[in-house]
Amino acid sequence: MTPEIVNIGPGQLILGLLFIVLAGAASLHHGLKLERDLAVGTIRTFAQLFILGYALRFIFNLNRAELVLLVFLFMILFAAWTIRGRIKEKQVAFFWPVFLSMAVSYVLVSIMVTGLIVGVKPWWKPQYFIPLGGMVIGNSMNAIAIALERLIGDLRKRRAEVEMMLSLGADYKEASRDMVRQAMRAGMIPSINAMMAVGVVFIPGMMTGQILAGADPLLAIRYQIVVMIMLVGSTAIGSLIVILLIRRLVFDQAHRLRLRPVRKEK
Amino acid sequence: MDQEIIIEFSRVSFSFGQGPPLFQDVSLKVPAGSFCLIQGPSGSGKSTLLRMFNRLEEPSAGQIFFKGHPLLSFHPPRLRRSILFIQQTPTVFDGTIRDNLLRPFTFKNNRDLVRPGEAQLNKILEDFLMEGLDLDDHAQTLSGGQLQRLCFIRGLLLEPEVLLLDEPTSALDHESAEIVESVTRRLIRESGLTVVLVSHKKVDFQDLAPTVFEVTGGRVTGLQ
Repeated sequence: MTPEIVNIGPGQLILGLLFIVLAGAASLHHGLKLERDLAVGTIRTFAQLFILGYALRFIFNLNRAELVLLVFLFMILFAAWTIRGRIKEKQVAFFWPVFLSMAVSYVLVSIMVTGLIVGVKPWWKPQYFIPLGGMVIGNSMNAIAIALERLIGDLRKRRAEVEMMLSLGADYKEASRDMVRQAMRAGMIPSINAMMAVGVVFIPGMMTGQILAGADPLLAIRYQIVVMIMLVGSTAIGSLIVILLIRRLVFDQAHRLRLRPVRKEK
Repeated sequence: MDQEIIIEFSRVSFSFGQGPPLFQDVSLKVPAGSFCLIQGPSGSGKSTLLRMFNRLEEPSAGQIFFKGHPLLSFHPPRLRRSILFIQQTPTVFDGTIRDNLLRPFTFKNNRDLVRPGEAQLNKILEDFLMEGLDLDDHAQTLSGGQLQRLCFIRGLLLEPEVLLLDEPTSALDHESAEIVESVTRRLIRESGLTVVLVSHKKVDFQDLAPTVFEVTGGRVTGLQ
């Protein structure tokens, strides 16, 4: 039996815009000055998702491993770029380390999930690899940003403590151990919290999507469990690699913290 | 008099990043076992000069030698244990007095040192006028002067050859400053260590016949 999926036509999409009009009216009435952002956000949502839809259809039809991996790397590059815009840090060139750690951890986790756990053949089958990998990127890029921000912020704030330890004969790893630990925790806690709340506080988007598309809820939850586990794994591996790479970058050969207090920058 | 030189700066210049030079062409010699005083007005770069002794700052030109060898030839953590820097504002680990005194012995580069026993720790607390304190007292409960003395003790337990003191009394109230100063004086007179002390007050420690270096306008001049 093929489950029946209710189609959404152009008219219904336009009808959906009523909600945006409602939000815009509230913004105007209360002087929130969000009308422009609302309009841009709406246009971007339509444009980006339509482009994505056509792109995915194209990729699914071509069905080629190198194209799938290329698209995946492009998604990671975009995520690293997003993090770069979010973290206001001028002294550390963190873009490439972030990209590298995301690429290693996400490719590894995604291949393991599609190839081993879900058992898709071939492992790169675009219908599975791209949406699952995309979920990993979208969710754990926040974790990487949080961990990175915490590490740099803590090292700068606790500079006196780091230098105290260095002055007592600690190497750079010993002098920054506590900051690394705190940054890892900060990066991992949201995905652990999500595991606690899933299914009780919220029904995850992917599961909702599968159920709407007619899947059996018991199959949908299995996919969701895999996704949650993936997120914890990719968050842990990604945060750890990025933290270790950045730590190496902010200390020099003389085991000296290169981060200067921000006020000295001109 | 032919005295052994423990630290030597040879035509050292320094600037922060691409900024203007803070020092240019500084040459100075620190005799082993001596007491050196680095003086100069606030903002003249005294602390930066001191931080170059143990590579917390690196010269942009010139070379620094420790016992005749370039600083660059030493493993930085080992070098910092020998040329030990004590910060202006006392900084401690979150833990007890004992934790603070013993934690440095857990660092990889300090594992060859013998950990002091309880008796030795209590004795050294007494020597530094902290006899009323218990090793299990939390370090965060100590006064500023006690914290600074705790930092002194923690450093001395690592058996350094040179002690770098960055205005050790300037962050303290009057009463604490007096105690720390008297402890510092005793250390200079009795420890046999080379002590390099930064101070912005010209009158401090003059009676201990220091070798004085004056820092002004990017130059360092020896006054004795």
